[in-house]
Amino acid sequence: MAYDLDVARMKALSPSPLGAPSASGSPAPEPSRPVIKLDHLSKSFGTFQALQDINLSVLQGDVLAIIGPSGSGKSTLLRCINWLEPANSGRITVGDLSLDCSKPVGKEQITTLRRQLGMVFQSFNLFPHMTVLRNVSLAQERTLGRSRREADEVSMGLLERVGLADKAHQYPVRCSGGQQQRIAIARALALDPKVMLFDEPTSALDPELGLEVLAVMRELASSGMTMIVVTHEMGFAENVSEHTMIMADGQILEYGPSREVIRNPQTERARRFLRAVNDR
Amino acid sequence: MDILDSLLMGVTWADVQSWLPGFWNGFIISLEVTAASLALGIPMGFLLALGVQSRRKVLRLASLALVEIGRGAPALVLLQLVYFGLPSAGLSLSAFLAAVVAISWNTGAYTSEIIRAGLDAVPAGQREASHALGLSALDELRFVILPQGLRIAVPALMGFAILVFQGTSLCFAIALPEIVSRAYDIGSMYFYYFPALAVAGLFFAAVCIPASFLVGWIEHRAGAYARR
Amino acid sequence: MTWGHLVHIAYGIPLTLALTGGAFFVGAVLGFPIMLLRESSFMPLKVAMIAIIAFIRALPPILWVFLLYFGIGTGLINLSPFVAAVAAFGIIAAVNMAEIYRGGMVSISAGQWEAAHALNLSRLSIWRDVMAPQMVRVALPPSATYVIGLMKDSAIASTIGVAELAYRGKQVSQMSFEGLLPFTVVGACYIALSLPVAWLSRTAERKLRAKVAR
Repeated sequence: MAYDLDVARMKALSPSPLGAPSASGSPAPEPSRPVIKLDHLSKSFGTFQALQDINLSVLQGDVLAIIGPSGSGKSTLLRCINWLEPANSGRITVGDLSLDCSKPVGKEQITTLRRQLGMVFQSFNLFPHMTVLRNVSLAQERTLGRSRREADEVSMGLLERVGLADKAHQYPVRCSGGQQQRIAIARALALDPKVMLFDEPTSALDPELGLEVLAVMRELASSGMTMIVVTHEMGFAENVSEHTMIMADGQILEYGPSREVIRNPQTERARRFLRAVNDR
Repeated sequence: MDILDSLLMGVTWADVQSWLPGFWNGFIISLEVTAASLALGIPMGFLLALGVQSRRKVLRLASLALVEIGRGAPALVLLQLVYFGLPSAGLSLSAFLAAVVAISWNTGAYTSEIIRAGLDAVPAGQREASHALGLSALDELRFVILPQGLRIAVPALMGFAILVFQGTSLCFAIALPEIVSRAYDIGSMYFYYFPALAVAGLFFAAVCIPASFLVGWIEHRAGAYARR
Repeated sequence: MTWGHLVHIAYGIPLTLALTGGAFFVGAVLGFPIMLLRESSFMPLKVAMIAIIAFIRALPPILWVFLLYFGIGTGLINLSPFVAAVAAFGIIAAVNMAEIYRGGMVSISAGQWEAAHALNLSRLSIWRDVMAPQMVRVALPPSATYVIGLMKDSAIASTIGVAELAYRGKQVSQMSFEGLLPFTVVGACYIALSLPVAWLSRTAERKLRAKVAR
């Protein structure tokens, strides 16, 4: 099975120097210092309060799973962190950069923010008119100033890492959903992010294809990457992520070590949600 | 204001007012040609849409030729063909009749494509359901395919009606005194080309701008309906 | 109608092609900034552009040709018939191409913008590397259809004396005292000229689709 093969390949390659936080060029922050810190973050769409006073710290190397019913604000939270949706108030701190969301923020600051964050979308969002290799290389050339050769070299390494080096010269349409999502992960990793954000990366995939994406994410977690993963995969939350956060109605219901949160939730709302998930 | 002055050439309100009755008559002629061409052209388009799918070869080829020439040749050339050409075949038509014949042909050719696309857009499951229910081919067309297909085609047909109205301006070439011909005549008589053409433009704008926003709105609503 | 008449008509083909090509070039180039202005987030500008586009589309092409040739030509600047026709069709083509480009842009999913932003691509790079290539692909078939329509509209230039196909058809009809044949020949010429465009468009579309379509 292709999936087994990929895992074997990944094991042979890890720990990989590529994509690991130390490759970002900046000195790794103190283990105790959060890489991402959100203070009193709020976001509303018109009269709808999508996020309400969110406070959160994510430490270096931490893997955080965010779960919750749909419409709970988990995707909005992720999109606010990298400014795809500007939040209305509160503060976002990523590494040394701290932004006050209630004030106008310059383009350079948004750029600096996004430079540190890799994003993986539910619907992959690969560029359909470029080969797989170009998809991974383009932003390296345009934003990191790498030469075509350097960029392609990095890209090939990453495609190797996600088990798709043989697809480099094909177009995304020739790849399965699971393969496209692994390419999207390679594309985000290519910019040496400090933190990887995943917005329901397996929701658009059937379970079998989801597994190969989860395997890549698991490998990434074990390589020490800091990750925030919005997901419906309880297995991933319980077994891979150190921390789990349950959201509902724009607020944090529960936060803590994954096993505790999932096995022993404190609030009735969270229990109801977890029961509904388990009954499926 | 020099530019405006040299465009208006000292035309007065009294001048413009004196033109209005003529323009109004031209406007009525344009509307009449439009109405007649749509009344003849759309049923013709419907028949042609069925004709090009006919199993009888002669009928199919004849329909196809009418559609391809009616769409492929410029409307202006069709007008001239009918108005200047038919007399040499022994059939003289008045400018008005020639306009109606040529524009109907053009309309039939285009609307046949619109109607065909509408009929094709009816989901295949509807045909299968009709077969399963044992409906005859005619009943299937009449009760199942046509009502749905025509509804899909309506916004596009309305959009095309606007183009037909605009297309009546081509009748200038066969000396039918519609709006543009009136403007041209005033221009060539008094050299008030710009003001006269601008008034003609206002007539078209007054009809076509609201009409196209209306069609856009209907299209939007039809789209919303289809998405439900 | 004689062999000579046929040749006389055929000599109109280059002018028909030049009118069509010139107007399409003007439209394809101007259409892009017009589309950007129409999609501006600055409301007054957007509303103004929507109004201008609606107005330009509301007037029939022959009226634009006359406005530029007789209207402006009489009082202001003298344009040659050919230039006036190219300018008139160019204006119309610009707003129509703007709508075609807009259709192409709308068809690109929001996810492409988001991915490009998340990858920190610059505005220039987003347009050049991500948006434009995809827009071209979507806009190609309607553009080809539009070119064919433009070529048929270019027959209107005969009314101000540009000696293209339709003009020469009428000349021959007057010289030969025949109506049916010259106009049929002219009509056939337009149909024949549109075939390669349609074929090219289909081929290009198929090639692009084979590569990237879902």
